[in-house]
Amino acid sequence: MKDLLTVEHVTKQYAAHTALNDVSLAIPEGSVYGLLGPNGAGKTTLIRIINRITAPDSGRVLFDGHEIAPEDVYRIGYLPEERGLYKKMKVGEQALFFARLKGLSRRDAIARLKEWFEKFGIQSWWDKKVEELSKGMAQKVQFIVTVLHEPRLLIFDEPFSGFDPINANLLKEEILALRDKGATVIFSTHNMSSVEEICDHITLINKSRNILSGRVDDIRRRHGANIFEVAYRGDEAALRRAVAGRCEILEGAEEESVYRTLKLHVASDDEVRTVIAAVNEAVELRSFREIIPSMNDIFIRAVNGQL
Amino acid sequence: MSNIPIIIQREFNERVRKKSFIISTILMPVLMIALMAAPALIMEYSRGEQKTIAVIDESGLVAPRLESDEEIRFEATDLSTDEARRELTDRFGVLYIGRDILENPSNVRLYANSSSSLSVESSITGQIEKVLEAEKLKAYDIENLQQILDEVKTTVTLQTFRNDKSQEEDTQAQSSTVATVLGYILGFVLYMFLLIYGSMVMQSVIEEKNNRVLEVMVSSVRPFDLMLGKILGVAAVAVVQILIWGVLIVAAGGFVLPHLMPAEAMAGVQAMQQGVPDAAAMSGMDPEAMQALAAMTDLGYILKIFGCLLLFVFGGYLLYSAMFAAVGSAVDNVQDASQLQMPITLPIILALLMMLAVIKDPNSPMAFWFSIIPFTSPVVMMARIPYDIPLWEILLSLAVLYASFVAMVWFAAKIYRVGIFMYGKKPTLKELFKWVRYKY
Repeated sequence: MKDLLTVEHVTKQYAAHTALNDVSLAIPEGSVYGLLGPNGAGKTTLIRIINRITAPDSGRVLFDGHEIAPEDVYRIGYLPEERGLYKKMKVGEQALFFARLKGLSRRDAIARLKEWFEKFGIQSWWDKKVEELSKGMAQKVQFIVTVLHEPRLLIFDEPFSGFDPINANLLKEEILALRDKGATVIFSTHNMSSVEEICDHITLINKSRNILSGRVDDIRRRHGANIFEVAYRGDEAALRRAVAGRCEILEGAEEESVYRTLKLHVASDDEVRTVIAAVNEAVELRSFREIIPSMNDIFIRAVNGQL
Repeated sequence: MSNIPIIIQREFNERVRKKSFIISTILMPVLMIALMAAPALIMEYSRGEQKTIAVIDESGLVAPRLESDEEIRFEATDLSTDEARRELTDRFGVLYIGRDILENPSNVRLYANSSSSLSVESSITGQIEKVLEAEKLKAYDIENLQQILDEVKTTVTLQTFRNDKSQEEDTQAQSSTVATVLGYILGFVLYMFLLIYGSMVMQSVIEEKNNRVLEVMVSSVRPFDLMLGKILGVAAVAVVQILIWGVLIVAAGGFVLPHLMPAEAMAGVQAMQQGVPDAAAMSGMDPEAMQALAAMTDLGYILKIFGCLLLFVFGGYLLYSAMFAAVGSAVDNVQDASQLQMPITLPIILALLMMLAVIKDPNSPMAFWFSIIPFTSPVVMMARIPYDIPLWEILLSLAVLYASFVAMVWFAAKIYRVGIFMYGKKPTLKELFKWVRYKY
């Protein structure tokens, strides 16, 4: 798949500190790309550079094969983490204003807005002032404003913050639907469970450097620590005796309603089959599965320098 | 494609549709008139009650001829000074006039029960002086004295003309009084526009920053375009406001006023406009009022003043609003802005003070230079314009003003660009200047 956006060796220095240090990444077209990192790592600076709000000191950003140009802002939709609308302006008028700034004609903008308002069931808000809306309601309006001009690249910075689970889910569906229609999504967040759910690729930025990049599945598998979980029925002592010497027992079994479980560390892939055989001999084996680390674990370990 | 027109449109619509715009457009002229009329009205009503002064006149010359008026009532008394001072405490005071008043005019004392006032004192001395002068004149024993005095009394009305004008215009009588009053008004209008509309831009920037709308905006608009669009949008509001006032005044001066005034007054005004002051004088009106009326109903004159007003308000506003925008971008709330505003408000206040000085001598070198220096020029030049100053001075002043606006916008945009992403800490002026050198 070709890359819609490529960041090449971007460095950005502010007076006192380096915000980005030689960061490179490639975002495949049609993917949902997670941009992860602790606070202050440089994510916002990178997003601002992609949005042409600031310029890098060195390095370049390619959009669809060419160096990113002013007109490209019409093909980008950006939902910043710090969201805001003009409080005194009416919802419809405001949405129209932002749509026109993104290059839509007035007529197109109205037609598309009507469609979106209907989809979210908020037609009655058109003539309300933003200050009359709740925070969550305003967020919906802001989301519509971001995607209205059908940009090829969408950048969401913590899109789910401030949404209740039902609306967060609605939003997630919409984001995935936009991807299915061909949009590429950059998704910046701290919420690792949502990364696992919707991201195909991620880049982890820490202390202004790109420290981890790749497909989510690959990364999780790569960082799997050969830990397996056995669910069984039978005598724990017998199981422990059976596997002793073949692998390391990590955690004692916990008493659960139906099965007991035991976590094992198997040193090499070759050993896996013999361990399974041994377990099978000793107890009634119900499941034997590799524990793939969660993105949350990988994030914490990577940031702490344990990878 | 630039987004500036869309920004301008939003800024303009948001403001013009507000009730406060409509109210202020109507109220401002009313307020101006009220401000001008207020001193006269206050004088009229602050006279308060009549003050009664008991008079002990040992000479017997003065007391019978003291005239009571609305302010002071004189009341002769036979009491001695000490008695009067003790007993007549409900009076404003006791006036003692010595026996030798004619030879020794200082032998007059006022014992006031409360603090005295300048106007009471000057009224008393004035009356006594008149009585004594008349008494002394009488000693010369001249016949028909009063008649002679009446004939000698003269009032001069000066009519000023300009030599450097073409023949036609030469006939237009110039009145310094009208020009002075008009100069004051125009100078103040400029001052108010710079402050009110300038801080409107600043507040709007702060609001956008607080709302975090800026974060959304800058992804589709260059910060420079956003700043310029805002400045021009607010400027459009100011221009519309002035145009509305212009139309109102032209309508009032050109069409309504001539119908309201008595016919002979209008004839006098027309005579004045056509340069026949003698005929004007015939109408029996106060010449100054007539000149004011002549100016008010002279469409060409009004149009010229409004043209200049628009150009100077626009230029001055652009210059100052760019600075206001830069300050607004650097702070998180209006309270924090006050300190950073100093370098902006100081020149405006200086301009106002200069205007007050310049208006007394509109052709002095000081007047010239302060109406060329861009920070003071809008206010000072506008105050001079009713005096018919040379066209090249106006053009030079405008050129310098607009050129410095361009430089200021460039400078302010650099601060703005950094400032809109700075949250939390309140920057100092020094830091603000450092931002100019930041690269983006």
